[in-house]
Formats: sequence, structure tokens, C-alpha cells
Amino acid sequence: MMLFSPLRLGPLTLRNRIVFAAHLTNSAEAGRPTAQHAAYYAARAVGGAGLIITEELSVHPADRPYEKLIGGFDPGAIAGYRRIADAVHAHEVPVLAQLNHNGGQASGMYSRLPVWAPSAVPDPMFREVPHAVTVEEIRELVAGYALVAGHCAAGGFDGVELQCSQASILRQFLSPLTNRRTDRYGGVLENRVRIVREVVAAVREVLGPERAVGVRLCGDEGIPGGTSLAEAVQTARLLERDGGVDYVNTSTGVATATLHLVEAPMPVPAGYALAVPSAIRAAVSLPVVGVGRFTDPAQAERALREGHCDLVGVVRGQIADPAFATHARAAAPRRIRTCTGCNQECVGRVALNARLGCVVNPRAGHEAVPLPAPARAGRRVLVVGGGPAGLQAAATAVERGHRVMLCERLPRTGGQVIDAASAPGRAEFAALVHDLLAECLRLGVDVRTGTAVDVSAVEREQPDVVVLATGARPALPVWAGGLDRVVDVRDVLCGRAEPSGSVLVYDELGFHQATSVAELLAARGCAVEIATPGMVVGQDLGLTLDMERFHRFAHGAGIVMSPDRTVLDAAGAAPGVRLTLLHHTVGAVSEAEYDWVVSAVPAVPEHELWTALRGRGPAVHRIGDCLAPRRAHAAVVEGHRVGVAL
Amino acid sequence: MRSLVRPVTLGGRVAPSRVMFGPHETNLARFREFSDRHVAYYARRAAGGAGVIVTEVASVHDSDWPYERAPRAADATGGWTEVANACRPYGPLVLAGLGHAGAQGSSAYGQQALWGPSGVADVVSREVPMELEQPEIDELVTGFSAAAELAAMAGLDGVEINAGQHSILRQFLSGLTNRRADGYGRDRARLLREVLAAARSGLDRDGRGDRVLGLRLCADELAPWGGITPEQAIATACTVAGSIGYLVVVRGSGMSVFATRPDLHVPPGFNRLLCATVRAGLGEAVPVVLQGSVVDPGFAQAALDDGVADLVEMTRSQIAEPDLVAHVRAGTLERIRPCTLSNQHSGVRDPRNPIVSDEAEPRAGHETVDPPVSSPASRPFPARESPTICPRAARIPPASRPFSARESPAIGARVARYPPPSRPVARAPVSEEAPTGESRTNAVRVRRSVLVVGGGPAGMEAARVLTLRGHRVRLAERSGRLGGALLLAAAVAGRERMGVLVPWWERELARLGVEVQTGVEVGVPELDGAQRDGTAVLLATGSRPAPRPYRSDGPVLDAAEFEAAVLAAGSTEAVLAGLPGGTVVVHDPIGDWTGVGIAEQVVATGRPTAIVTRDPVAGAQLGRTGDLVPANTRLQQACVSRELYSLLLDVRDGRAVLEHVWTGERREIDCAVAIDCGYRLPEDALWAARPHLDRAGDCIAPRTVYESVLEGRRAAARVERSAA
Repeated sequence: MMLFSPLRLGPLTLRNRIVFAAHLTNSAEAGRPTAQHAAYYAARAVGGAGLIITEELSVHPADRPYEKLIGGFDPGAIAGYRRIADAVHAHEVPVLAQLNHNGGQASGMYSRLPVWAPSAVPDPMFREVPHAVTVEEIRELVAGYALVAGHCAAGGFDGVELQCSQASILRQFLSPLTNRRTDRYGGVLENRVRIVREVVAAVREVLGPERAVGVRLCGDEGIPGGTSLAEAVQTARLLERDGGVDYVNTSTGVATATLHLVEAPMPVPAGYALAVPSAIRAAVSLPVVGVGRFTDPAQAERALREGHCDLVGVVRGQIADPAFATHARAAAPRRIRTCTGCNQECVGRVALNARLGCVVNPRAGHEAVPLPAPARAGRRVLVVGGGPAGLQAAATAVERGHRVMLCERLPRTGGQVIDAASAPGRAEFAALVHDLLAECLRLGVDVRTGTAVDVSAVEREQPDVVVLATGARPALPVWAGGLDRVVDVRDVLCGRAEPSGSVLVYDELGFHQATSVAELLAARGCAVEIATPGMVVGQDLGLTLDMERFHRFAHGAGIVMSPDRTVLDAAGAAPGVRLTLLHHTVGAVSEAEYDWVVSAVPAVPEHELWTALRGRGPAVHRIGDCLAPRRAHAAVVEGHRVGVAL
Repeated sequence: MRSLVRPVTLGGRVAPSRVMFGPHETNLARFREFSDRHVAYYARRAAGGAGVIVTEVASVHDSDWPYERAPRAADATGGWTEVANACRPYGPLVLAGLGHAGAQGSSAYGQQALWGPSGVADVVSREVPMELEQPEIDELVTGFSAAAELAAMAGLDGVEINAGQHSILRQFLSGLTNRRADGYGRDRARLLREVLAAARSGLDRDGRGDRVLGLRLCADELAPWGGITPEQAIATACTVAGSIGYLVVVRGSGMSVFATRPDLHVPPGFNRLLCATVRAGLGEAVPVVLQGSVVDPGFAQAALDDGVADLVEMTRSQIAEPDLVAHVRAGTLERIRPCTLSNQHSGVRDPRNPIVSDEAEPRAGHETVDPPVSSPASRPFPARESPTICPRAARIPPASRPFSARESPAIGARVARYPPPSRPVARAPVSEEAPTGESRTNAVRVRRSVLVVGGGPAGMEAARVLTLRGHRVRLAERSGRLGGALLLAAAVAGRERMGVLVPWWERELARLGVEVQTGVEVGVPELDGAQRDGTAVLLATGSRPAPRPYRSDGPVLDAAEFEAAVLAAGSTEAVLAGLPGGTVVVHDPIGDWTGVGIAEQVVATGRPTAIVTRDPVAGAQLGRTGDLVPANTRLQQACVSRELYSLLLDVRDGRAVLEHVWTGERREIDCAVAIDCGYRLPEDALWAARPHLDRAGDCIAPRTVYESVLEGRRAAARVERSAA
């Protein structure tokens, strides 16, 4: 595979083309890298990545857009760099540090200082007017990059990458949207690039020829009037001509305006951003990195073969499976635990100032915490329920030396994930349970589908431990009482109900359940309205970056969104349903008839077996929805935790 | 007569005043331990005369991790001891807040199922908790007992149990969240009784019976169809009155979190009637504490006089003015820095972990970082508002670096850096020499003459601090009165209380003898002249409107211009009467309090009103203040048309052209007049002419009162240093 051909990157030789590109982890404490950073990157080095680029190190104390940023200017951070570099080098993988200043994409909340930017143009997310830097302050910025580059060399990094992309003052200088300067740093492109060239020169002077210097350029900000691809290509040309740069990394989108282009969600295909590296590669002879939701080695291989890029950034794919590259190289792609692009625990958690995690990899974000030895070896474990919780519990338990039988009542495993993945644009979510099942089978779990378990079955099997992962059953709201045209989302997704005509989707969950079924039904020709007691329809889609696409679909399909609504009453209105709705913010009550009502409200734990088994016989654990109906991540985390604790 | 500032006995212990500093989120913890920043924060309020200090609620069980820096009782003992030791010289009772947030917690940090009485999802998180069974209930009760014992061993005067907002005990008491069929459902107060008994036994484990067991109880969930009503709360309180030392009456449920500590839209003292009802219902069996936006000592004293309560919680007031009680004792009420109740910095239950503070007292929460304003800085501030990097960074002390916020060590063996008081001040009036108060000092080496240009918050605060530190200050303001942009901010509907700061500054400047000149425009020649005379100059010239990013052919006013006109004309109606009739479109690209408030102000005159925002809700940044839900409700009730997900492209021919942020769909709405609440730019003409001069506040970058006050203080300290 071309993916596994070595490549020279300036002074470095990479064993393959797979890059673990820079991304935020929120693992820093007190502005410094932690043992978690070292363990996190080392896990991807062990797993075969060709190049690792750390998350950003800030080059200036006035730059602190989020709490857990690494203050690269602080000499006290060098020991942490050394720990990262040593941990990665132990596996003979080069590691670069990304240097950055977030510029106007920040606020003074943490720094209690004015924010710096090329011009006094407020960021669309942070919404704080920045201070337009003076020429003297530009010199200070450039010196900051050089200073931190020196720290990086002292810490043992193999070089640095200069972020000029999703959240950086250098991109803000490059972009006509944020650079309104009239001095020699603003105006024509040559002026807007000036600071980048100065930074490259200053950093190169500090690092010398022995270490690599790369730039990450934004080729499309996704905002009208923003940086054009042609300008990005021209920037790359200018930088190549200066001779200070060893490679060009690429990206699309602006973190605080068009983040869905930076970290595209599940419905966006792999390679969506390849136009940028493709155009740059055609114009320069430097190695070019392409990125964009590569979750499968074949996709990455294709991007190389088609000449779009020389290296491929695989971030979420390697968060989900640190051994992505190893499995790809062993031609065992089926062993990869595949990133689903759900964005729930990586993008979604980091946005909320929490440490990065992963729905399919419960170890992500916890690499530095070693797992304890099994409490007792070789226990006989009966897992009841083959949804994500049960599958993860079984996979972890069997991997740790226990003998595991997993019984699933239905003819197939996967639980609700299978239903969720049947909705438009959600198919990749099924990888979560498909990969887990494959792992269970490979490691020797005795998986029995179509097998219900009751107390007598437990007594018959006499396991040492029972893990209940029996899930939750749909519950209809009280007002639905007896109306056969009020159905649950799961009834629609699995085909038990086939609503047609006018449909109200009533949503108390605020996530994909309601919007998925709305899309499905709208695509089938239904007239769909979504009502929710919340302030916003599909509120949590914002965190996973699915909101923008959903709105575009909903607009095209004519889906009506009615927030701030609750249902007071429902009555049959043959053949449909007449609802009494309360617009609760204003107290307005209205009646409306729908052919069908689809309800997305919390499910009810299936805890009958728990009630029967608790306190008698073998140890019994409850995990996932049968404990409390929640999202897939809770199921996986609890499955893993119980599997470890046995 | 029961005086607000005289001692009161609670349980077996004496508090030096009847003013409580109640438990609240601070984000000052290091991991989940109380930090030296906590110690300094509480000690500062103790020094100012607080009678009872209840520390931030600590989780009593590992199933509870409601926000990242939520203290954990098992990790708290060292910190509790340090807080007690630091407060002891001033004599307040120091109690540990103890609680469990239950279904109102967060699973983001502990990655475990939330606990709840029943599987009822919290309205805010929409997450379904696990229904507690007897083993978990037993663990919870034991957790309260163990935590109370730890607090006692740590040297605290007692504990306060949270059955108010964000508490599993309230969730058990409420029909909204407790649907159990067992003994804890048939008798919803059972768990509370068990917890109080357990806490009592934990407190008394060493045989002393004088420690205080307080209870914070929700007396009205504002949801009479299923929630706790005052009648139910009185019945509950009566059953536990014999086992508690005091009762704090609060309100609000998971459906109305915003109602418990609301912002300035809710009148101060809103719980007065509720508290009086509960106290009467209890028959004075137990001291009752009035909570709820109490900001005026006169109001607080009247509540005592009228039998509403026995103590008064004034938490946000003491964040804003640590010396509140000392000023009452000294009879200097006019010097109390007023609390705006804006919640812009006191509300910190936010995943970004902002530090508790106050917009006019930015040292609050930063006591270990910011020097006191009235003594020369022991450590200099950065040379400018932007600190520099190495090699110059060597001159920046660690304490003023932005990252110092998390460098502060956890309590343990370390001694708090807060300086011990030279003598008890619990009964001492605030004097010019009081070590904790903001008072004039003679310690400066060089007394300077300073010209401050601009009489907004930055200029007023700089002038105040410079004078406190012994300098001679002239404050020149171009307009006819002091206040700057704050006057306009306070003219926005519902924001009137922001204005309380201006008369306070005026009083302080007059008291301190600042030479205030209004109606005086300072030009470059005067700046040069001042400099020649050896007068230091500080520019605090505020902001100006920015060019608007859309076309318009109709009348478009910017928000400041509009409010200035309202102040000049005396009413909103008078201003609107001079503008074309028809719909007023409020363009709000920022989503803070201004756009929402102006829309309310306009619609109140009867004009059709729309608010245009790019966000899915109006006032998207109001989450921290607690006004997000109320603001959107008020707008809808007032029939303001919320044009959500919308960018304003064009105002022409009486129409506004809007574009959907994601779909690009364009539509038009009526627009006779537009009011633009967009960004402003620095008013920096003087600085541009003389860029060596120092600046503070909006003339660096237009932001809020907080940054202006902070930078005014820092600039004042730099004046001194530049003279040294």
C-alpha cells in the first residue's frame, strides 16, 4: 500500500503516511502538558502512526481561549514536552508540536486581558472586540513563536507545525475577513502573508535544519469573503519560495464559525476536504497533508493514489482505534474499531471544556490510567443483552481472561444502535456494535442470539457473575393512552409502525431520535412537524455539529419546528390524533389534528431480571439503559468498567 | 431590638452578626479540593464582618460530581481547616455546605449514572437518573453522616444540608421528581429526616453537642401542580425543626433553576413573604434565614424588625462588598459598593469554569492574585494590559500571569498566602487604616498628580484607586455627567439596577476629594501640557460605534445612540415618536443583555418589534446570568417577533432582508426603524495621537464594566510604578 511507503519530511523520515494531526484534548492542567498527553500520543505511536503532531502550544500569555490550553511560552512546560517526546520516540515515531496563538478567536475570561487580533473584528463565537495589535506587538508575537520553538527543541520535539488554520491569529492575518489593516501587514496577499513568513523565518532560525517546520493552512474558511483556495495556494507558493517550510498541512473551516467543516459529522463523506491539498500539491513540491474524516484505511489509500496528498491526517480514526495503522498494515482492517463520526465524546466533550473521549473507545482520554489486574482470573460471566453495553462488557471481560457467554433475546445483537443507524445519514453509527460483535467473536465470547434469559436460565448456567445489559423499552407519554397512532420513535425506525400523511414528532430527548425520524418520514413524503418543550429543536445536534446539515435538510423538506410546546391531551380523531398543545412560554393552548404522532421521550429500564436476581445467587451488575436509559456512550463506558472490575 | 450587625446564637454557638455569606459555586477549587483561593475569598468576607459563612457545597458521595470543580467532602478536610483558621480571628461561624445534586448533577465528569428518587429526567440535562434502591439510600445517608463528621473534625462550627436548589433531598421531597411507591415515596420527607439525624450524629461524634446543623430548604418549587408548596414545606420544616439550628428558606425547582438566585430582573428581597410565611408557620421554633437577592442592609434590618427572619443571607452583596457588615457597623452605608445583581460574574455554574467575581469588585475570587487596591502593589502589574513574553516576561510576577489561576496549590500542608490580620476587626468600624478595607494609604513613595481622561467605569475606578493611594487626581469627562457607557447600559429596560454603581462612584470620588470636571473635553495640547508639568495621564475614553456590516437606507440607530436619546428625551416613547411609525427591528449580533432589553423597551411602548439574532434563541449569552429562559419567555409574552438563525443583510424601503445562517434562505420583514446592538470600536483618537500614554477599559477594546474596573485598577498601579 502507498499508505505504508516511507516519506521524507525535511530532516525526518516517516515510516508511513498516517498522521495523528493536531487536535484539542483538554488534558492540560494549570497550562501544562500532563502524563495523559504522553500516554495518549504514545498509544498512537505504539499503534503505528507515521507522525504525531501535538495539540497547540500557545505562544503568548494573553492567548487563553479555553481553560485547558497549554501555555507554551512557560518554560515550566518543557519538562512536559520532554515526557511526550520521550514517550513517542520510544516507539520510533517522530513528534512535532503545534504552535499557535488563537488571536481574536478567544475572550478575556481566563486571561483577564484584552484579546489580540490583526484588526478589531470580533469573532462570531467569542463575540469580544479584540485589540488590533501594533507593529511592536507583532514583533512580540513573532518572538513568541521563536521562543516556544526553542522550548520545543529543548523538550525533544522533532520540529513544529505553525497553525495558520481553524483557530489562529496567523489565519486571521491571512484572511481578508479579519485583516483590515492598512499597514504592511494588511491589504494585498503579500502583506497579509508577511507575518507568517516572519514567523517561519524566526522559528527556522531557532530550530536549524535538524528539525522540521510545517504550516497548516486553511484552504476554505466556509464564510463568504473569506480566504479563497487560490489565495491559500499562493500562500503555500510564497512559503515554499522562502525555503523555510518542510511540509504543508491543510484544513477547511473556521473553528468558531464553521466548525462543521473542520470536524465534519457522520453524514459527510471521507475526503470531503481534499480539494485543498489537491490544489496546493499541484502548485508546490513540498509534501502536503490531506485531512477529512478518513475512518477507513482504504479511503486514505485512495486519497494518496489519486494524488490529492502525500500524507493523510487521521485523527478521529486513531482516537477510536489507536492501532488503526497497525491493523491497516496487517491488512486486517476488520479489526479496526471504526470511528462513526458521531462527534459525541470527542468534539462534543471538548467543546464543553471536558477531556476528550470516544464512544467506541472507552479508553480514549484515560490512557495514562493503567487498568488494574482482573480481580479474579477466569471467571464465568453471563452477559444478558447484546446492545452496546453488553457487547462491550463481554469484549472487555473476555479480553481479560474471563469465560463469557452473551445472550441476546433478539435474533441479532446491536440493540437500539441498529435502529438508530437505520435513519438517514446515520448508517455509520452501526460500526459501534458491528465492530464490538466482531471483537467478541474473535476473542471467543459464546454469543447466543434469540436466547432469552430468565431466573431459571441463570440458575441453570450457574455463572460466577451476571452482567445485566437488558436495555430499556419504549414508553409512551401518559396522554398517549391507548391511541394506536401514537407510536415511539423506535417503532418507526424498526418498521413496526409506518406513519404517513401529517406527522407530529414530539421530542423530550433533544438529540438524533426525533430529528432522525423526522428526516426519515419527510423523505417518505410525510408532512412533518417537530414539537419540543425545549427552547430549541434538536438542541444537542449543535454539540455534534449536525445542526447545520439538519437545518438545511429540514428547510428543503419543509419540516416545521415548534419549540416551547408540550402536549396537554390527545384524543382519537379517526383515523388520526387530535392533540391539545400548550405553547408554554406564552400560555397559548391550541388544538391540531395529525395523522400520526411519533414520540421521543425517555425509555423505561428493563429491570425485571434485576429485580428477580438481586440479592440472591451470583454477583449481579447492571449496566447501560437497564440502569438508566441514556446514550450509547454511557452503555459502552459501563460495559467496559464492569468488564475491567470482574 | 435585633440588630443585623450584633451577635446571634445559633445552636450552641455565637455568630458575630446576623448576616450570612451563603454557599455558592465559585470554581476556585483545585480539582475537587478547597484551594488557597477559597481560603482568601472566605477570609476576606469574614474580615468584613460576615456572621455565618457557609462554604461551597461539597458532595457527600462519589456518585455526585455536578460540576468539574465541585468540592468533594472526602477531599475537603484540609481546606475546611484552612478556611476555619483563616476566618477564626474575625469570629464568624464557618459551616460546611453539604449536598448531593442527584438528578441535577452531571455525568460528564464521573461518567456514572445520575442518582434520583425516580427515573424522571432533569429538565435541563434531559438525562434520566437511576432510581435509588435501599443500598444506595443507605450509602447516601451514611455519606452525609461521614461528611458532617469530617467537617467537625476539620474544626468547622457545623454543616448546612442542602435541600434547596440542585439537591437530591429536594428531589425526594417533590412530587415532580419523587414517584416512588415505597416508604420514601409515601413519606417524601423521610429521607430528609434520616439525613438530618445522620448529620447530627456525625457532627456530635466527638461528644460535643454545640455544633450547628443548618438546613437550606426549598419552600416553593413554583410548580403547584406537583411541586413543593409553601404549605408542604412548612409541614416538612415543622417535623425537622427540633433537629436543626437554623433554616434557610429558598425557592425554585429543576424547572426553575433561574428562580433561586435570579438576576436583576427580579426585585431584591423577593422571598420576603415566603420567608415570613414559613417563619410564622414554624412558630419561631427555629431561627429562619431570609435568602433571595437581599442587597440593602436597611431592607435586611427591616426584615428582622418585622419578624420576617432571624438572619439574612446577603451573598452576592458580600461578593461585591466584602466589608458590607463593617460599613453597617461604622454607619457608612453610603460607602457600600452596591451589588448590581447582574449575575454576570457571580453565576459560575458553567462548563467553562469561570471564577466567581463581581463586575465592580474584580478582586473577588482573585484575592490571592490581585493586590488590594488601597495599598501599593507588593508586586507590580504587567507593563501594559498585554503582558509580554520573554525576555521581558521575566519581569512579570507569576501572580499576575494568566495561568496563575490554576497554579495555586491545593490546601494541604501549605499555609494560605492571605496575610493574617494584625488584630481582630470583627467589632472594629472600617477606618482609614483598617487592614482589610479599602482605605486611603500614605505608603506611596511619590505622590503624583494624575489626569484621568474619561469618566466612565474605567476612569472613575482609576481615579478612585489613585486617590485612595495618595495621589492627586483630576478626572475630566467630556459629557455633562459621570458614568460613561454605564449610564446607557442602565437605561436599557430591565437593566436599571446596573446604574446603582454610578452614584456610588460619584460619592466615593467626592468623599476622596477627586477633582471631577464634567463637560470638559481634553485635547492633545492639554495632554502634552500635563506631561510637561509632570502630571501622569491615563486615557479612559471609552468607545464609539463601529461601521455596520449591512446596507441601509432607512433610519438605523445604534443602541448607545438610542439610549442616549431616551435619557435626553426622558422616555422611550418620546424618542420613538420622532421616528417613522411601524415595526422596530432590533439587530443583535452579540446575544447579551442589550438586544433583549432594548426589544423589551421598544415593545413596551406598543410598537411592533422584532429581534434579529444568528442564534437559535435570543440572548444566547445570558445562560450564565440565569436570564436566558426568562428573557425568551418575556420576549414571547410581549409579542416580540424573534427572528432566529438570521443575519441582517439590508434595510431598505421599510423592509429588512434577513438570511438564514445555514440554509441561506432569504426573507423580508417590515422595518420602519432599526436599532443596532452590534459591536463598538475603541474611542482611541487621543491614544493614536499619543500612543505612549496608558489606557484602560473600552478605549483598548470595548467590553464590559468588569474589564474596565479591572484595567482602571491596574492602570492606577502602573502610574505609581512609572513614578518610582
